[in-house]
Amino acid sequence: MKGIVFTQFIEMVEQQYGYEIVDELLTNTNLPSGGAYTAIGTYSHHEIVCLVVGLSKRTNIPVPALLNAFGRYLFCTFSRVYDHFFEHFHNAFDFLENVDNYIHVEVIKLYPDAELPQFTTKRLDEKRLEMISNSERSMGDLAEGLIAACIEHYKETASINREKLTEDAKSERFLIVRAS
Amino acid sequence: MDHEKELAILKRRLDREISSRRQAEAILEQKALELYRANQDLRILNESLEQKIAARTTELEDSELRYRQIVENATDIIYRADAQGYFTYANQTASERLGYTQEEIIGRHFGELVHPDWQQRVNDFYKKCRDEGQINSYLQFPILTKSGETIWLAQNVQFIQHENKIMEAAAVARDFTKRKKAEDALKTTQLRLTSLIANLQSGILVEDESRHVVLTNQLFCKTFGIPAPPEALIGIDCSTSAEETKGLFRDPEGFVLGIENLLSEKQMKVNEELEMRDGRILLRDYIPIFGEGKYLGHLWQYRDVTEEKRAEERLRRSEEKYRGIIENMELGLMEVDNMGRIMRAYHHFCEMTGYTEAELLGKKANDVFLPQEFTGVMKQQAIDRMRGKAGIYEIQLFKKDGSRIWVMISGAPIYNQWGKIIGTIGIHYDVSAQKRLQQELFEARLRAEEAQEAEKQFLANMSHEIRTPLNAIIGMTHLLYDTSPTPDQVNYFDVLRNSSDILRSLINDLLDISKIRSGKMEVHAKDFDLPGLVRSIQKTFQLKLEQKPIAVEALIDPRLDTIVRGDDLLLNQILLNLMGNAEKFTAEGKLGVRVTRKASKGNIITVEFEVFDTGIGIPQNKLDLIFQSFRQVDGDIKRRYGGTGLGLSIVKNLVELQGGTIRVESMVGQGSIFIFQLDYEDTGIKTSGISDATQSIHADFAEKGHVLIVEDNSMNRKYLSSLLKRWKVRHKMATNGKEGTEMAQLERFDLILMDIQMPEMDGYEATIHIRNTANPNQHSPIVALTASAMLTKKDKAFQSGMNGYVSKPFTPEQILPVLRQYLGLDAPMLGNLPKVSELSEDDESCNHLNRASLIDLYGDDAAYALDMFEAFFEKIEEEYPLLFKHFEDKDWSALSKLAHKLKPAFPMVGLSWLETDFQQLENEAKEGAEPIAIELIINRIKTRVTAAMPLIIEEMKRLRCLVN
Repeated sequence: MKGIVFTQFIEMVEQQYGYEIVDELLTNTNLPSGGAYTAIGTYSHHEIVCLVVGLSKRTNIPVPALLNAFGRYLFCTFSRVYDHFFEHFHNAFDFLENVDNYIHVEVIKLYPDAELPQFTTKRLDEKRLEMISNSERSMGDLAEGLIAACIEHYKETASINREKLTEDAKSERFLIVRAS
Repeated sequence: MDHEKELAILKRRLDREISSRRQAEAILEQKALELYRANQDLRILNESLEQKIAARTTELEDSELRYRQIVENATDIIYRADAQGYFTYANQTASERLGYTQEEIIGRHFGELVHPDWQQRVNDFYKKCRDEGQINSYLQFPILTKSGETIWLAQNVQFIQHENKIMEAAAVARDFTKRKKAEDALKTTQLRLTSLIANLQSGILVEDESRHVVLTNQLFCKTFGIPAPPEALIGIDCSTSAEETKGLFRDPEGFVLGIENLLSEKQMKVNEELEMRDGRILLRDYIPIFGEGKYLGHLWQYRDVTEEKRAEERLRRSEEKYRGIIENMELGLMEVDNMGRIMRAYHHFCEMTGYTEAELLGKKANDVFLPQEFTGVMKQQAIDRMRGKAGIYEIQLFKKDGSRIWVMISGAPIYNQWGKIIGTIGIHYDVSAQKRLQQELFEARLRAEEAQEAEKQFLANMSHEIRTPLNAIIGMTHLLYDTSPTPDQVNYFDVLRNSSDILRSLINDLLDISKIRSGKMEVHAKDFDLPGLVRSIQKTFQLKLEQKPIAVEALIDPRLDTIVRGDDLLLNQILLNLMGNAEKFTAEGKLGVRVTRKASKGNIITVEFEVFDTGIGIPQNKLDLIFQSFRQVDGDIKRRYGGTGLGLSIVKNLVELQGGTIRVESMVGQGSIFIFQLDYEDTGIKTSGISDATQSIHADFAEKGHVLIVEDNSMNRKYLSSLLKRWKVRHKMATNGKEGTEMAQLERFDLILMDIQMPEMDGYEATIHIRNTANPNQHSPIVALTASAMLTKKDKAFQSGMNGYVSKPFTPEQILPVLRQYLGLDAPMLGNLPKVSELSEDDESCNHLNRASLIDLYGDDAAYALDMFEAFFEKIEEEYPLLFKHFEDKDWSALSKLAHKLKPAFPMVGLSWLETDFQQLENEAKEGAEPIAIELIINRIKTRVTAAMPLIIEEMKRLRCLVN
């Protein structure tokens, strides 16, 4: 997993709970990397899972809520750091439709070793977009957060209806319905 | 939170930050290194690229040079042309092949080199390629070299394009003239062979090694009843054909087996005979085909020999048949070997000679049979036989009993199977009986010839002997007319005269024939008036046939207007004979002579004479006979018409004697035409000129008076002669008509005194002759001296052209006025004789009479004219009214006859136009025309005659004044 996910997670925790909680998490969690992350590095996916689970125990907030919040935080970071990606798209559906075949393509150019989830979209009608995610890591909650943040970014209102397509939740369907 | 703890957290945070930075630095370091290496690689790549380009450029240059050399040295013509077709480059080969230098080629248009016959096609081809964007093309066509030689090129052209536009063309062309010629030759050969096979009189089938049809022909299909055309069979598998067609053969299994054997052995086999179920017989050849020792297929040939086989069979049967026939005929067959020894003597030969075959075998035929005198003949025959010649000859043979027989032998060589002569076969036919008959016939002919010669001699002698007393009888008969006989006596004299005339002409004919046969008849050429002669014959017969419904015509070619040189006597005799013949066989209708100038060569003219009649005609199958002596069409003719049967034979001889030819055309019941041609020399002197020339002579002798006496009676001659001597009138004498005409030919007479009844030629005929032929006396007055008993015939005298008559016997007082009238013995009378011709000029009122014809008819003889006018007047008074009576009675036949009778009178008085009217009337009435048409003519005649009569009366008055 790309280092930016870790650095942003640490940053979000520090903002919300202070560095003491960050230190506690990094110290108490068995992390092969030793808890030192750089945005351009690459780290095991298990480490973020352990960090999230550790934070959930420490804060008593359920893991899905944490992941949803992290998705929103992460989108804000992306929109800030990679603003040039956003210039091309003028609404949330356009953007979401291009995640897989534009944004991820560009990401792979920069980071050939990046392991990215796969999104396929289908515009059902003007207001409804179906988005199916396939990810090894069952990061549906994180994805939902990212989608919700995207909608907000474009100052739109939409409901997100989520359903599992497989038991292990590696494949999930998001039906995004834009209001008015 | 205590300070230490906070410090520991910060320391750990710092450691984490440092660790993060180091991680990031390590990653960046590694990335920078990668970038450097990539940069390094790029630089190296750039440098090697330049080197490669340089090397490739050199390589290209070498290659182009190499290609250029290849192009220059290529054996093909290689050139480039611009988009318009003008050469921009041509290699050395192009120059060598085309005969132009490279400089001469460049700039030239490729079309100029193409053979003129192909220019259009080649241009069209490349235009099409360009239009359709076909970049590569291939074409074969002939071009002309500089020396005018035609060479064939196979040309590949590539259009070179730039931005879709054709910039130029590159071409490689190969001279394949030799190959083309070879191809053509091969094609011709193939065509020849194919057509040869197609037309072969055998069925042909060629199969390849796998038994597929390569070639076959129509006859093959026909032979096996295959309905498809031969071309359709090519490629068909024949491996089952034997099985399929075996049904056609009499021995189907044998046929299949035979084919299988042939195919497995692959040995040529010819002339195998196959019998077909339908009776045909085929000869089959099997010929395997090998090429370079390899079996390539085979050829079947089938010939239908049914006809030949049948012919052979027929021949064999025919041979058997004829051998049988010869054996059964009375022909004796004997065969001898080359030494003349008898090998076989057939049954009939033995019978013929009296020997048995056993007695003859091995003996020499010549020793047994041949009389001495025939050894020569036999020797020659033996030589001929050895040369393979057959021959037919007659010899005598000894029979066993020593007597001889005549045999006709047909001898022919006998050949063995290798064509060598091994002997002779003789077919003997006993001709003893024929030989005897032949001998008898020969002797009979000799006797007949001797007898005929004797008869001829006898005939000639007898004719002479008979003629002498006959002449006395004829002469005396004529004199009897001068003895004042009673009318009964005159009748007796007529019979006597006719009979003796017939007898004389018969004798004359006989004499002529014997003269002709003994070659004593000669042709004497002298100048004569041919149309005149013909006219006189016509007039003679007209006179003779006056009482019969027969018109006598003379149709003379107006181009015959000159004196010709030839034998007039012979011509006269020919025409008289033919006319006499025509007269004899014609009961009514017409007869006459047509004379036509046929051809001329130099001064020789060929004249065709046709003597025609409307008589009984001659049957087609008798036409050949009639010119033979003593032949008449049949016995019945002889009985009915009399005659010697010599006339036409004499005619034919006389025509041929003069170098002419004669033939006859006839239809039974329609009449006959005798046509002959004679050559005469044209003197160029006009016949009309003769009389003109004699006019002056006439004038010279007019006053002196010159008289010709034509009289057979010597007493009368002496009497007249003494009278004329007394009156001092110059005169000459002729003893018959013929002599009279001859004398009239020689000089002019002022008067001719003509006896009527004379032998040879009577007075009428003589007068006609004189009046109608060119002679000085054509217009001289002729006065008949006629027995009073004959006076009834004075019309005939006038018609024949005589001017008057004196009846015998006469006193000097009776003859003197005649002499006065015609000679003007007394000066005052002579002076008072004005000429008719002068009258016409004096009196204009006479214009309506045809003066010219009157002068032509009467000259200045007013008395003669008066006579004729009086006769005319009498006739008109008497008969003219009848015309209207017949018309009212509608008696067309009588009307026609009367018109015919009156018709000739009108021109005699200068009313020739009325002759035409009467002719028309005659024709219309005869042909049964509409009465209204006849009425029209009658009315016209009536008007004209009424108008003319005052003129006639006036003229008669004038003439009377003149005469008295």
